[in-house]
Amino acid sequence: MMRIVFERTGGFMGRKVSLSIDLADLPPDQAGTLKQLVDESNFFKLTELPPKTPLPDGFMYSITVETETTQRTIHASDTNFPQTLRPLLENLLARARVR
Amino acid sequence: MSHRHSIFCILPPHMLDQVAQNGSNAQREMAARTLSTSSQIRDRRVNVASAVIRGAFTAAGTSQRTVYDAKFGTKLPGTVARKEGDTPIADVAVNEAYDGSGATRDLYSVAFGRNSIDNNGMNLNSTVHYDKGYDNAFWDGQQMVYGDGDEDLPPAERLFNRFTISLDVIGHELTHGVTQFEANLVYRNQQGALNEAISDIFGSLVKQYQRGQTAADADWIIGEGLFTTNVNGVGIRSMKAPGTAYNDPVLGKDPQPAHMKDYVTTSQDNGGVHINSGIVNHAFYLSAIEIGGYAWEKAGQIWYKTLTDKLTSNSNFQNAADLTFQTAGEIFGVDSLEQLAIKNGWTGVGITVNGTTPVPPPSGDGCLKGLLHSLGLAR
Ligand SMILES: [Zn+2]
Repeated sequence: MMRIVFERTGGFMGRKVSLSIDLADLPPDQAGTLKQLVDESNFFKLTELPPKTPLPDGFMYSITVETETTQRTIHASDTNFPQTLRPLLENLLARARVR
Repeated sequence: MSHRHSIFCILPPHMLDQVAQNGSNAQREMAARTLSTSSQIRDRRVNVASAVIRGAFTAAGTSQRTVYDAKFGTKLPGTVARKEGDTPIADVAVNEAYDGSGATRDLYSVAFGRNSIDNNGMNLNSTVHYDKGYDNAFWDGQQMVYGDGDEDLPPAERLFNRFTISLDVIGHELTHGVTQFEANLVYRNQQGALNEAISDIFGSLVKQYQRGQTAADADWIIGEGLFTTNVNGVGIRSMKAPGTAYNDPVLGKDPQPAHMKDYVTTSQDNGGVHINSGIVNHAFYLSAIEIGGYAWEKAGQIWYKTLTDKLTSNSNFQNAADLTFQTAGEIFGVDSLEQLAIKNGWTGVGITVNGTTPVPPPSGDGCLKGLLHSLGLAR
């Protein structure tokens, strides 16, 4: 079981974009890709990012991944976003951005 | 282009001598040039037009623009695409960032006598083509950053164009830099919404100045052109009618209030900084319309002086109201039309100005102080 909750707030427009996915509800290939992106990002072992003062008009991101055994939320901004998480972010944004 | 000459005054030569002795290199150059002109003027007085001041500020050694290309990545600043003085290149976003930061620098220089973002000739760096599908622009504390909107989607699905398309967006981002060097308003809650409004106000003034529009002629739209034709909207925000800029099945409705009674309390977006800014935006609009003429000349002047001399990092809407009112009294006189217009603007959004503390009447040295300020020699 894996659930992903994604939120992007702030930005020049201040418009929130969000998404909540239960991988069980996705076609198997898409669920497989997402699970792989989470694994490859090392999501549960990433070092906590130091808090930053907000960038004017910057986006703020929050990604929560929940499994049977654990749950974690990572918060980041445009300029301190972990590189290893970017492929996952791209996938989530593609789903959330235009709906 | 008479509207460009908003700093225009007569200055006695001994004051120019002082500038010539004590100013920075560029300031000395300018004063020396003006003095040599003045020797030809029989009454020993000098017309100091904004063009001369601008000339001094764009001399070598002052603010230089550089536009970088992130090539759809997120590494800042990216590779240099165009530097100050380079001719346009075959990349419209690069040229827009270059021209837009120049137009913003011009407004600050000519209308307010400010020498770039930090009033000390800071270079203006911009990065375009930031990230893929990046529907945004931001100020990272040192530079401007612009995405290309929904360039990665098929045209029929695109909602956003590139963010350099809108001159007021560029003015908005650079103004975040100005605010950072002046009041340094906290980017949260009312302070943050005030910070946002200041960026919208001066961003809009950049556009109005470039178009030569009076307050009555201006559209007061922020982010005009950012939406593709797939969106039902004229822009991101409307200072004239907050809450009406867009109403779209995908993007929803413009959430901005125009009055304190509709102030939105939220934890998102640093406490709704892009929502509640509508209240201050509208107060500025109401004042500017009541004053009439070019908004940067009077309403803009009042706000610029308030931002640079009075607001602090913790100022809220009420402080901004009281301080703009006080500043209007100092510049234009107590009970002047301009001061009344500021008061009425705030009343129109549900904020009652406090502080009818008597302020000294404007002294005759306003012209001199204005010039010294514009040269960075006085505040
Ligand atoms: Zn902003």
